[in-house]
Amino acid sequence: MTDPRAWAWVEHLRQGGTTPWSEWAGRVEPAGAVVPGAQQLELLRRLNQSGDPQPSLVERVLAASAPGRGQPDLELVGAGRESPFGPRPVDPATLPEAELVRVAASILAEDVVAAGLPAPPRVRRPRPWRRAYRLHGDPELVAPVRDDLVARGRPPGGRSPDHLILATDLSQMLVHLWTIRGFDAGVPGWRTWLRRMEEHGTLPTRIDPLRVARRRTGRSAPDRIHVVLDPDALPRLVGVRRAPRPAPGLAAEARELGRRIGAVVGVLVPADRRKALMRRRLWPWLAEHPGSPLVVPDALDGWLGDHAGRIAEGLSRAGYAVHGNPEGLALRRPGVDAPHPAATLTLAMRMMLAGGSNANPTEEE
Amino acid sequence: MTKRVLLHVGTPKTGTSYLQDVLFRNQQALEDAGILYPADRFDAHFLAALDLMVLPWGGLEAEAHGAWDRMADEVRQWHGTTIISHEILATASRVQAARAMSSLGHPDTEVHLVLSVRDLVRQIPAEWQENIKHRRGFSFQEFLATIQDPHREGPVATWFWGVQEIPDILNRWAADLPPERVHLVTVPSPGGPPNLLWERFCEALGLTGLELDRGGERTNPSLGAPETALVRRINLKANRVVPPGRYRPLVRELLAHQTLSRRTGSPRLTLPPDVHPWAQELAGAWIDEIKSRGYHVIGDLGDLVGPPAAQPYTDPDHPAEAEVADAAVDAIRALLVENGRLLGVEEHLNAQLAETRQELERAHFRPTYRARKKIVRGLESSRFGRGILKLYRFGRGNSSRSA
Repeated sequence: MTDPRAWAWVEHLRQGGTTPWSEWAGRVEPAGAVVPGAQQLELLRRLNQSGDPQPSLVERVLAASAPGRGQPDLELVGAGRESPFGPRPVDPATLPEAELVRVAASILAEDVVAAGLPAPPRVRRPRPWRRAYRLHGDPELVAPVRDDLVARGRPPGGRSPDHLILATDLSQMLVHLWTIRGFDAGVPGWRTWLRRMEEHGTLPTRIDPLRVARRRTGRSAPDRIHVVLDPDALPRLVGVRRAPRPAPGLAAEARELGRRIGAVVGVLVPADRRKALMRRRLWPWLAEHPGSPLVVPDALDGWLGDHAGRIAEGLSRAGYAVHGNPEGLALRRPGVDAPHPAATLTLAMRMMLAGGSNANPTEEE
Repeated sequence: MTKRVLLHVGTPKTGTSYLQDVLFRNQQALEDAGILYPADRFDAHFLAALDLMVLPWGGLEAEAHGAWDRMADEVRQWHGTTIISHEILATASRVQAARAMSSLGHPDTEVHLVLSVRDLVRQIPAEWQENIKHRRGFSFQEFLATIQDPHREGPVATWFWGVQEIPDILNRWAADLPPERVHLVTVPSPGGPPNLLWERFCEALGLTGLELDRGGERTNPSLGAPETALVRRINLKANRVVPPGRYRPLVRELLAHQTLSRRTGSPRLTLPPDVHPWAQELAGAWIDEIKSRGYHVIGDLGDLVGPPAAQPYTDPDHPAEAEVADAAVDAIRALLVENGRLLGVEEHLNAQLAETRQELERAHFRPTYRARKKIVRGLESSRFGRGILKLYRFGRGNSSRSA
């Protein structure tokens, strides 16, 4: 595209301008072969509105291409002769936030990969007198507990271990599982994923403490199986005084942004590296930005209540040790029932302006 | 020898799988003729395309990281002609296309763009069928409405036009190439000589005169209207209970490709008569545009108009139930045969397992071992017993404790 008005707007944005395309009237000589897509330009304009992006970030945004499936790079409406082919040109201000998040996620994914893994925590030598245990259940609860206990010289394993099934209310566990799957491998959006879950009927095993317990029963003595709903019970069960540190919670938009970033990181690095980068590098970055937690929509109360009742009854009938109140499985917490696209974009831009990798400079490699 | 890159970027359903299979199996013969087809596995160029476009693809993207740059490195080091071919490249953005061209040495290296194209009259039903074979459940009517919507919103319309709108693909890929370096290969109309498309590919890719093994085709077989309707119904019923990893071998491969595509006597999928004029009018506009740009056309642009409307039209959304039932019986038969085979495998594995267990039992048959095992099991079933065991193990030392 050689439209002088479009190139003038690119230059305006490059210099930190915030004028919307529809109000732009300047003209300059074309400065390249291809005007960046409307998504990239609008994202840069909003970054300029929100802060003072570094010149390197400006150039990366202009050179980016929206990854994955979705709208292709769109042309600016009213810029030169409109081609009768391809998607219709747009006024960038009218683009949905989700399209801008696509571009932002691609840049943040590059930041995550460039930052590498943080230095691993100091790990103490395993204590010979440690209690034998294994952890199961909600992955967002299990991972930080295991990491913390390993660092304190109490890794899981050992002869005839106690099997500790970590759980909380079903709404939270669904949020946790969706997040971890989005970080590790990729999942559809929250609402779509929940709908599929409801259609499928059963809960995934990891967040169904009764099914986890039953799976262990054939291989371990029943009195070795503990369902831990109350985190305060955990220190006694693993033989420590101080409770293991839980993972810092994430806001609804942070979970959605993590899912989007994970999809790109998955193409940039091998699967095991993706998992490590997402959990150890991106998670703390996202946790720095507070916001409302994500919860299951009220419309699914009945479905969740049925499962909570079934699990509580099954645990009681089988006589498993339950630490905490089984009624807590049906607990409802305040929060938002879906990540808001505008909040997700705001968070993405805040992280871009913060410089991604500069936020946590400790590097492993 | 002139250094050239022949970059074939699509479109889907134009014989690309067959072409890529022949190229992959004849790498040595091609290399002897000075032509590089850089692929260490048959889907190497697909992975490179995923990498270039940062495109998740059901987990396959995990194998794709760095694939484009590795391939481009090989291309830059080769002294002669290189062929790169994958149809999903058609959907690359302008920025991605520019990055790809630059990584292949453009503008210093002579890059030629090859685009194989087929009429929309056949492409539209073929794309719907491809969607159905990828677990989708929308009707043909819904698909047609989606792609005819000028807003082109949503993943289905975006993808369809991204890989099918010929002038737009060329805008993205060939904006700064001279027209003589852009080669359009048209897929012949139905009923043409069977070798004609291959001959056109040979001309575009400089393969004419080479002795190539063309056996063992990797084709993408098509389904008839009742068979596609059946797979759609299976999707609607079974998607909830069949995870994607199981769907691929059982539904797409076993049912669609190996069973239902062999039912060639059923009515074929075609465009509805009321949509036919729209598709041909669009093709007419594309032909005019392509002619005006002066590209090298191998074949006949008239091929893009497509065949006349089928008479009578078979609506896959309201198929003849007897034909669907026939297809379903074939599908059940195939599933029974496959289940029989799997039961055989299971029996064989069970026999092997039993044999292994017997060996293990024999090894542990000593009476003292059995007695000790019984005692340990007994002790482990109670808290008191576990305490005794712990004391015993502590007394014996670290070597008796597990890690």
